[in-house]
Formats: sequence, structure tokens, C-alpha cells
Amino acid sequence: MAQTKTRTVIMNAESNQTEQIGVSVPANEIGNMPGQVTAPVIGKTSATERDANSSDKFNFWLAPGQIVNPFDIVEDEHLGKAFDKDGKPTDRPSKTYGLVTTIEHRTDSPNHLANYVSSNFGDVSETEINTPRIGTNVAKVNVLSNSGEIYMPLQNDRPVRFASAEGIAEALGIDAMAERNRIPAGLIKMSNGASTVAFLDQEFILGPEGAHINISGISGLATKTSYAMFMLQSILQKAERTRDDEGKPLSEKIAVIILNVKQGDLLQIDQPGAQPSVDQMELWEAMGLEPRPFRNVRYLLPRSNNPGMPNSFLQPVGYQTYAYALQDTADKLDLLLSDVMDQSGAMDALVGDIMQGIVNREASFRNTASWDNLLNGEPLVKNGQTQKWGDHYPSTIGKFRRHMRRIVRTRSTGLFTNARARNEMNLAEQIREIEGGQTYVVDIARLGEEEQKLVFGDVLRTVYELKAEDPENRVTRKPIPEKVIFFVDELNKYAPSGSKGSPVLQQVLDIAERGRSLGVVLFSAQQFLSAVHPRVTGNCATKILGRTGSSEISTPDYRFLDDDLKMNLTRLGKGELIVTHAVYRQPVKIIFPRPAYQQRQPGT
Amino acid sequence: MNRPLEFLGPAIELIGRNASVLPATGGAFEEMAKPDVEEADDRFFGGAKEAKEGFQDFAEFPAPGWRELYRPTPPVFRSKKHVFRYFCDGSIKTYFLGTIIEGDRSYPLELTQIGSAIVHRKDDGSLEVAKLERQLLLLVPYKDGRGVSESLYNDLKRMQTPVFRIVDVAVPDPLSERRQDPRDKSGAKARFEMHMLEKRLIEEFAPNRKPDEWTIIDGGVRRGEFIELSRTVGVAKSFDRTPTFTVRKGYRGTIRKDISALLAGLEYGCRTAAFFAHGGKVAFWYVRLRPQGKVDYPLMGVVKVEVPTPDEKPISTELADNLSSALVGERNVTPHGLDKRWHAHLYPIFQAERVIKANFFTETVLFASIRWPKPKQGLLS
Repeated sequence: MAQTKTRTVIMNAESNQTEQIGVSVPANEIGNMPGQVTAPVIGKTSATERDANSSDKFNFWLAPGQIVNPFDIVEDEHLGKAFDKDGKPTDRPSKTYGLVTTIEHRTDSPNHLANYVSSNFGDVSETEINTPRIGTNVAKVNVLSNSGEIYMPLQNDRPVRFASAEGIAEALGIDAMAERNRIPAGLIKMSNGASTVAFLDQEFILGPEGAHINISGISGLATKTSYAMFMLQSILQKAERTRDDEGKPLSEKIAVIILNVKQGDLLQIDQPGAQPSVDQMELWEAMGLEPRPFRNVRYLLPRSNNPGMPNSFLQPVGYQTYAYALQDTADKLDLLLSDVMDQSGAMDALVGDIMQGIVNREASFRNTASWDNLLNGEPLVKNGQTQKWGDHYPSTIGKFRRHMRRIVRTRSTGLFTNARARNEMNLAEQIREIEGGQTYVVDIARLGEEEQKLVFGDVLRTVYELKAEDPENRVTRKPIPEKVIFFVDELNKYAPSGSKGSPVLQQVLDIAERGRSLGVVLFSAQQFLSAVHPRVTGNCATKILGRTGSSEISTPDYRFLDDDLKMNLTRLGKGELIVTHAVYRQPVKIIFPRPAYQQRQPGT
Repeated sequence: MNRPLEFLGPAIELIGRNASVLPATGGAFEEMAKPDVEEADDRFFGGAKEAKEGFQDFAEFPAPGWRELYRPTPPVFRSKKHVFRYFCDGSIKTYFLGTIIEGDRSYPLELTQIGSAIVHRKDDGSLEVAKLERQLLLLVPYKDGRGVSESLYNDLKRMQTPVFRIVDVAVPDPLSERRQDPRDKSGAKARFEMHMLEKRLIEEFAPNRKPDEWTIIDGGVRRGEFIELSRTVGVAKSFDRTPTFTVRKGYRGTIRKDISALLAGLEYGCRTAAFFAHGGKVAFWYVRLRPQGKVDYPLMGVVKVEVPTPDEKPISTELADNLSSALVGERNVTPHGLDKRWHAHLYPIFQAERVIKANFFTETVLFASIRWPKPKQGLLS
């Protein structure tokens, strides 16, 4: 890094005074007031005829050798006075903060041919250059904020510095967050080695101002699930330290439901992992968090075809098994058949009538107590033949039977049973009993696709009803948690973009659009943001982006990102994420620690 | 608000009040320099006698034979020997403001921005400005009695500042005295003033140089007056294309070559023999910086090198070789695409010129300061 810079200006064009300085002044003192200690100057703002500074953007050239990267936050003193937290003017000059979006190297070469000629007419072995071509690195910056609410363009030749930790907080709007609402979401690390905690506003994660977090990025970097789990841990630990008006920790009012969709990834979250490395410990400590596993966890695993065994990649200590008998599923048959083609609506009408018939114990379904009864007995089948029932034609009923037989019998993983054993739970009943401070992990990793959708929809519908209707059939007298956070990976399976509407999608949309006010919060993840229904992602006040392919970022779903910033998504490393948050004026890049729970799979 | 040209307005107003003015369209416009102006200046500075008779004497020792007019001077780059450390250039922009009518006399009023810069090349090859100065000149004829009146001239003189001067075009100098057209004369006077500024800067800066550090001046070493500093060379990218060279004389017959013949035989990375000019006070020769096949015609890619020889003694062949090799080493990079003289332009000189021009007032600022008073009714009738 350049430490000194010789002042060479002889004539001051503004004052017409002749001055000869010729002395070396440390670069970091240029632009400083006498006695003032501030961060080193790394460059100066630059406005040109073609590339003007504006209220939204500015450019600055960099001192030779100075390193700056996209997502670094810089500051520059500006016109007017800064406001204090109450919005009153102070004696300090206002500061404009900006986010570096890209860095260009500019030379005075008008074209590539000039460079070719300048290498002795294309002599590639020519390594000697007496006078290197004049060039500079120019950083392009998006304006984040001004501490005096002044959005005049930055003037030319203003000294630019890396923002301080306080400056970053001010730039992002963190300083305006109430202390109790600040959720550590990762560490912002800048090119000068400085770092600061990126806080998210709890009111924009758990409501009521905004809600939901959506995480996207390609698989294989082990980032999406890890980050969701980190955020859950961060929210819970922060809530433990925050008291309500009665002096009780807020963590007692938050419940978490996690769907495990891959291997046994999330079936050991209450078990401590290996001792974190020093670097990892520092990350945890920097954010004021403790590297620890989850507490008060219940694991719910699906029933399998092997008697007494759950259908799961591993069996955590104290797990319970859930299964679906016909009576448990009667009011959810729509979820089970949500993918069946039904252009005329005949199937939908049939399913609706069957659901109503079973739930209301109508006369025609009085003897329908099991899946076998439903598929092979009256009222749908008589003497082994599909028959017309009510307004429903045999062909529709036959289609219903074929799909149901495939799902609950021939292709079933064992989730469906004619009668649940004593140790096989009704999942909805278990979910309905959830209490604040508890974390439920519902395993669906080994289930078939329709089964997964059933369980997903069932949990979501139960939570929604729990919060929206205060159900009478909740046994426990403990209060319903104020906030229920629901985490699911591969959201695109349940709420795909382009879907015209299915019962499962409708359930997700209900949560995405109305969960904010009900206290039902959706943490979701998927590989491709574009693969998820836009009404779901559009309602997420916080979007997290991991490494993403270039074809994906060219889709319209990434319009909220500046073009220069988009390309950075293609080269994010492991553990690096871009965070866009309702409170932040621009996206920021963060790093976060690895989970502190057991992640090793059996046999590895 | 700060007005950078606050001294100019009163001078314009003074002229407008004391004389009739036929303002230029738009208040002022830039006088475009003729493309061969440097070449013409080189011819004028070359001296009448030499222009007529050609260059007669070799200026290096040992003197070359007439068959040994060229010497190979392969490039020596900065990494091996950093010879040229300082590069000096001057630049000029002249504006025609209008025609002044005083009594039965009329004369052009010209405004000129002149500037000169010395850039320093550091060990790593990067450049920094070592010295820079800019002046604004108001050019009027006075001394010959055919221009501005004495009282107006004296009033204008009183308005001078360190960066704003009133210059009498009628005072003779080697460049302007041969010009006949009044506006040409003003332009030549402005160039002379620029050369004087360059000379002063070079001489003022000379004590700052270390013993082995050389300076390159853009153009010849005669800037109206000789620059007699040691370790200073003039490198001209445009030069007189008319002289002849006597390469052999005596009882075996005289052989002369014109410059085209001389330079056509000059190969890439070679120099010609050095000749004396200005009655022996300058040694000069030519160096080819670019291969002939790579440029449009054979005379491109050649620079004229001048070294002051105030004692009128020849320079050593070794010195001319070393300087030439170091010059060939300056071939990278070039201002190709930025300046049509790129083939003979030295990049640090090009940057010095940029520094000066970047510090000139823009035409927007300049023209905004030129406000002629409204003419009185019937003044010009």
C-alpha cells in the first residue's frame, strides 16, 4: 500500500496562487485537519464529463497499490452537518457512505492497438517498459446514505476512506435499530482488515414490520442450511438475553420447526460438534454469540415399512415416530393429491366430497375407517368395481383410486397405516402442542415426493391454524408461542414459480403474505431464487444469496441487485453470503461461523 | 464564489472603454496552430547561413568517415541504466478576441494561455510533476507605434499579476520577427514566450538534479536563447525537412546529402553522425525510434536530438551513442491513437503536455470572463 504521496501541484487553478511544495506528505494525512486522526485516505472522488457523480453513485480513483474490493464500505466528508440520533444537526460535517460495486483499471490507451504498438509492435518478448502507461484503478460506488440526509453529489477530488465500524453501522441504518432488536447476522469484513457485525432488525425478521428469510445459492458449498441454522441460533441466543415486560426471556415465546430434507443433516442439532477452531471461535465471539448446539429439541421421524423402525437416515436419542392413518389424513387429502393433473376440476370436487364425508362421518363413509376401506370399499367401490358416487363419474373415482393406491400403498415408504400403533404419533397433534423455547425437527428426508408435500403442508397448515384460530383441541395449557419459525430447504418443491396454484402452494402463500402479522415466520432455502414463486420471495424482507451461476443471475428475479454486484455472486466462497435486508440500503457481504452442533453422519 | 479569472474582466473592460472593438464571433475563438509550426520554428532557429549552405561540420569526436554516417544504438532500457529522469514540455492555447481600433490604427487582440511542466520519472518508471507553471498573456503591439496607445498600454500593464501579463508583440524575437501577418506574429510571440517560460523552469529546476540525471526538452535546445545547461538534450519530433549535410569535403570532392537521403538510410535503433549547428553551439543528430516498415513513410519514427555545446567542441561518439541508445529505449509505451505524432513522441513528454493542458482554464471559464462593454451609439459609424 502506498504510504506516501508527493504533492506536486504548483499552480492552484482556483486561487491562481503559485505554490511549490515538493515535500513528501504521508498519504494518510492528506485531507486531514491538523491534529485530526482519521482513517488513511485511499483515493479521491472523481467526476468527469462522461462519468458524473450523482445522488446515487460516485467514483473514486485509488492510490497506487491500494486494495479495495466490491462490497467494501467507504466514507467521505460532505456538505452540511451530520444529524444526531434524534435527527438534530451536530457540529460534525456530514458523511456520505458508499458501497463499492466494482473496480476498473483505466489507462490513457485509446484502444488495444495502442497497447499492441506500445509493446514494440506486438513483440510479446518485450518486457522492458521505460515509462509505464498512465493508469489508475477507479472504484464505482453506490451511495448508501448521508449522515445529514444530504444527497448532493460528492464533489470532485474529495478524500475517500474506508468506513469505520461506527460508520458502517450508520451507513446501513444499524445505528437506528433499537438495541433489543439487533440480531447478529454475520461479520462484514473489509479489505483493510477491519470488520464489524451486520445486525438485522428483529422487527423485520419476526414481524411485525416485515418477516421471513429466503436463502438461495448453488448446492455443494454447505452454506444455505448452515446459515439458516446460524440465524436460528442467533435469534434464540439473542432472545434468551432479552427480557419482556415481565422479566421473562423472549426465547420462551419463540418456537422453531425445522424440516430435515437431506440425509441426517439436522437430526443431531442438539449434539455438540467438534471444538471450533480459533478462527471460528473468534467469529462467534465477535458477534456476541456462544458456539453451542440447540436446546430443547424434539425429533419427529416418519414411520417405515419395518415394524418399530423409523424411516430415517439416523435415529437421534429420544425421537418419536409419526404416521398417517386415514382419519389423520382425511382433511389433508388435497395436500396429498396436489400434483395430480385436474383440468376439469372433477378430481378436486371428488377429493373435497370425500374429505367432507370422512371428517363429518357421513353415512356413506361410516364404514370407511382405513386406507383399505377407502380404496376398496363403499362408497367408491362395490363388488370390486368402481361405481358412480353422487355426481362423480366412475372414471374420476378410478383416477382417484389409482393415484391413492400408488401413494399410500405401492409406492409408500411406510408413512401410511390403516391404524397407528401406540407409539406412532399424529404429527398435527404434536405440532399443535408446541411450546415456546422448543425446537421441533420433522424428518422427511426419506419420504416420497407426495409424502413430503403432505407432511410439509400438514405442518404449515397446523401452525397457521394454531396461530390464526387458537384451536380448541390443543391440550397443553401453556401459551401458544408468539413466534413460530418454520425452516424448510428446497422450497421450490412446494412453491415453484409458474405454478398456478395447488393446496401446498396456497399454504405457503398464506404464510408468506399473512404470517408476518400472525407470528408465523418462514425461513426457506433453495438453489435458485427464480425457481420459487415470486409472491413468496417478494414477501421475504431478508434475502440471502450464496454463490450463484451466471445464467441464474441473468433472470429477472435478481433485478433488485445492481448489475455490477450481480457478478460477485458467481465467485462467492464457502461461508460468504450477500445479505439484502429491508433496513439496509444496499446489499452487504458477510461471513458467518460454521454450526456448532454435530454434523458428522454415521459411518463417516 | 471564487472567480478564477477575476483579473481578466477589468482588462477587457478597460480596452473596451478606451478603444473601439470588433469582437470575435462568440467573444473569442481559438487560433488553431498550423500543423507544420514546429517544423517552421526549427527552420527559423536553424540559422539563415546553415539553411542556405547546409550543415558542414561533424560535431562528434572522433569524426566519422563519410561512409560511416550511421551508428547502431540498440536500446538501453531504464532497468539497465536510467539516463533520462526529467522531461520538460511547454504548451500553448491562443484565442483571438477581436480587432481593436484606436484612432487610425487597428490591431488584433490575442489572449494566450502558456504553460510549462517538468515531469520526473521515478526509479519504478512512474511519473510525477516536478514543476508546473501557467500564465495568461494578453498580446498587443505597442513598441512600433502602430498598435495600442501608450496610455492604454500603461493602464493595462498596471493590471498585471504574476500569472497575467501584457506582452508587446512589437518587441522583436527570433520567432515573431519574421512573421508579417499580425495574427501570425502574435502566435509566434506567444510561442516565444512559452519557450522562455520553459527555459526559465529548466534553469530554475537544474540545481535539483543529481549528477547523473539527464533532462529531455521537447524540441530544440534553442528557445530564442540557447539553453546551455549540461546534461540537457532537446528531442524534436518535428523538424526542418529542408537542410542538406556536407558529409565529405576537400580535395577528393564534396559530397552532400539532403535530409531525406540521410534519413532514408537510417535504420531502426541507429543514429546518424552528429553535426554542428548555430555556429558550433549545438550538436545534433537523428535517431530512428521505430522500424521503417512499421510506419507510413521513412521519415516517420525519427527524432532530432540536440545537445548544447557552448564551448563549440565536438561531443564524444560514446556520449552520442549512449544518449541515442537510451532514447531508443524510450520506445515503450507510445501515445499511439492519442497524438498523430506518436511515432516520434516520447511518452513522458506527452504526459508533461497533458499535465499542462489539464491545468489550462477551460474555454467555458475563459470565454465567460470575456465580456466586452456595449458599444456607445455611433462609435463605429
